[in-house]
Amino acid sequence: MGIDPIYDKLREIIWRRKLSEAEERELRKWLAAHSEIQDSLEMETGLTDALKKLPNVPVASNFTTRVLLAVEREAIAEARGQETKWKLWRRLPRWLPKVASATVVLTAAASAYLYHYSVEARQKDLVQRVAKLPLPNPEILTNFDAIRIVSATPAPDEQLLALFQ
Amino acid sequence: MSSEQDPDAALMLRVKQGDIAAFEQLVDKYKQPVMNLVYRMLHDATEAEDVAQNVFVQVHKSAGRYEVSSKFSTWLFTIARNLCLNELRRRSRHPADSMDAAHPEQEDQPWQQFEDKKTFSPPESLLHGELERKIEEAMAELPENQRTAILLCRQDELSYEDIAKVLKCSLSATKSLIHRGRETLKQKLKPYLRTGAWKQPK
Repeated sequence: MGIDPIYDKLREIIWRRKLSEAEERELRKWLAAHSEIQDSLEMETGLTDALKKLPNVPVASNFTTRVLLAVEREAIAEARGQETKWKLWRRLPRWLPKVASATVVLTAAASAYLYHYSVEARQKDLVQRVAKLPLPNPEILTNFDAIRIVSATPAPDEQLLALFQ
Repeated sequence: MSSEQDPDAALMLRVKQGDIAAFEQLVDKYKQPVMNLVYRMLHDATEAEDVAQNVFVQVHKSAGRYEVSSKFSTWLFTIARNLCLNELRRRSRHPADSMDAAHPEQEDQPWQQFEDKKTFSPPESLLHGELERKIEEAMAELPENQRTAILLCRQDELSYEDIAKVLKCSLSATKSLIHRGRETLKQKLKPYLRTGAWKQPK
């Protein structure tokens, strides 16, 4: 995009407004060494002028009044919405909040009781099943220590075995 | 940015407290630049008026949430651009019959013609001169973000940083959008800019 910082700076000013005298002098000095850019800069200036001269779009004389009315309508609609919600709330029977609270408490108590009861039942069931199983013969534990020691020996040296083979 | 640095932000803080006179001042000050931007984004006078009106209604509605973190005008033009983009999206989803479509039997006549009953007619006043018409046409053909960037450049109170905030892109990307948009305009308007027609006093 940019050719050099001075050009970029001046061109960005030209995009918005006319150059001041000091800026004009700076531009002339810069253009002395870059005369090939002159045409392009003149086009930039011409385009900025053209865009500035675009006429304003007509605004209806009652625009502000219409905006204020629209704001008022919005405020009324919002207030009505709030009022309707409050009215609905007030129409609810007085006993309804108490019944709702009682229902919540009763449901929580029933859930806690049922949970406790089911855990207890599962524990009883497990004890009964285990009691029915026959105990193992104590003789199978005779060589328990020897088996444990044998299984704890280090792994065979695979490389040495390979050499023997 | 504080409300002392930006008088509009001070007005907006008064609006936040329910001061309708402060809101009226803001509407009066910004109705013209908002209308200029919205009309040149939508190219429909009636819709532009409705959207511009809605911009200010949104400003009032959002006043409670307003924080003085940047210029009021930056916030306002961001709302205006967002509403225009919503409108353009709505149009692309529900395209209506174009008023400019050619008549099947008379090619030089538009398909539909409606009497303009309004006392003002933005298109007529905008297309007053040949040069204005050419530049409006060239602007209309630009991509939305380039067009918005160039239109916001016309607002003296907005810096390049402010324009970047409205467009939600970086400063360098904003300058690049302006540069590309202007290059296209220069190409299309070359004959007019070269003749110096714009330099003639009206």
